[in-house]
Amino acid sequence: MKWTANDVDMYEKERQYIDTAVIPLIPLTLSEGAKAAVSGGEFVQLLTSEIERQLKGRLFLLPPFAYFTAEEQSARTERLNDWTSQLKESGLHHVFYVTGDRAWKEYEPDLLGELFLLPVVPFEHMDEAYKRQIVHDQTSKLLNAFISRWT
Amino acid sequence: MSEKKHRVSRRQFLNYTLTGVGGFMAAGILMPMARFALDPILKGEAGAELVPVAQVKDITTEPQRFDFKVKVKDAWYESEEPKSAWVYKDDKGEIVALSPICKHLGCTVNWNADKAHPNQFFCPCHYGRYTKDGTNVPGTPPMHPLDRYEYKVKDGKLYLGKAKPRGEA
Ligand code: FES
Repeated sequence: MKWTANDVDMYEKERQYIDTAVIPLIPLTLSEGAKAAVSGGEFVQLLTSEIERQLKGRLFLLPPFAYFTAEEQSARTERLNDWTSQLKESGLHHVFYVTGDRAWKEYEPDLLGELFLLPVVPFEHMDEAYKRQIVHDQTSKLLNAFISRWT
Repeated sequence: MSEKKHRVSRRQFLNYTLTGVGGFMAAGILMPMARFALDPILKGEAGAELVPVAQVKDITTEPQRFDFKVKVKDAWYESEEPKSAWVYKDDKGEIVALSPICKHLGCTVNWNADKAHPNQFFCPCHYGRYTKDGTNVPGTPPMHPLDRYEYKVKDGKLYLGKAKPRGEA
């Protein structure tokens, strides 16, 4: 499900079947590295929306958790953990974070949800067919990773 | 070059714009008619467009997934929606094209993905299952069989239209 009025109707009816929240973690910056941050974020949103399409009956794709790269990592972690506890209290027992930002890796043990780190893909210099192949492969990897967490 | 020569009078201006609009309108009326006359086979029963999805020669008795796109219009904008179908030939050699959308809460089902239940469609979300012809397996969450796409075959290609609940298709 997506964060839309329609889907929330379904959530309210079928709550007992929906136990997973997916949060894209999107870095923001307007200084050096802006382009890399943006394209990493785009990739994350592309993949998470495809996964939502395939697993919509069990997971809720939330609006991205966005943060300036200049924000202290500890403050960020605290904010994200706060989101996570709220979600868990509402019955979403699995909280999956998807990001391309490696900065999270080091803090993984402090996080209350599960981190899925996507590889950085230099899409700029790739032809369409190859791009599509990568998106396809990465989507099915992530899909299987999610499914295996459920069992 | 005098300015006068290039000035468009109010009357001329109105004339231009009106023909412009009229021309557009005529084109708008004629074009869909021409298309309809040329390609009647590409319209399904409901008048929905059918889109090419696969070569008939690639279809086997084992369900395969084919991906395609259809144009959709919702309240805000027009976009292309990715779709897929599980397609195979049944015992009588007839083509079956099933929608992969689980009838429980809409996840995408997979063929043969659950080792404990081979040769069935399997939904990873709440472990719903369907037999090869799309019938829901009792005791799993889905209450209805998978939808079937309406289809046509033309020049060796499979065209799919709308997915409909079984019984209606
Ligand atoms: S969505 Fe398929 S079993 Fe629930």
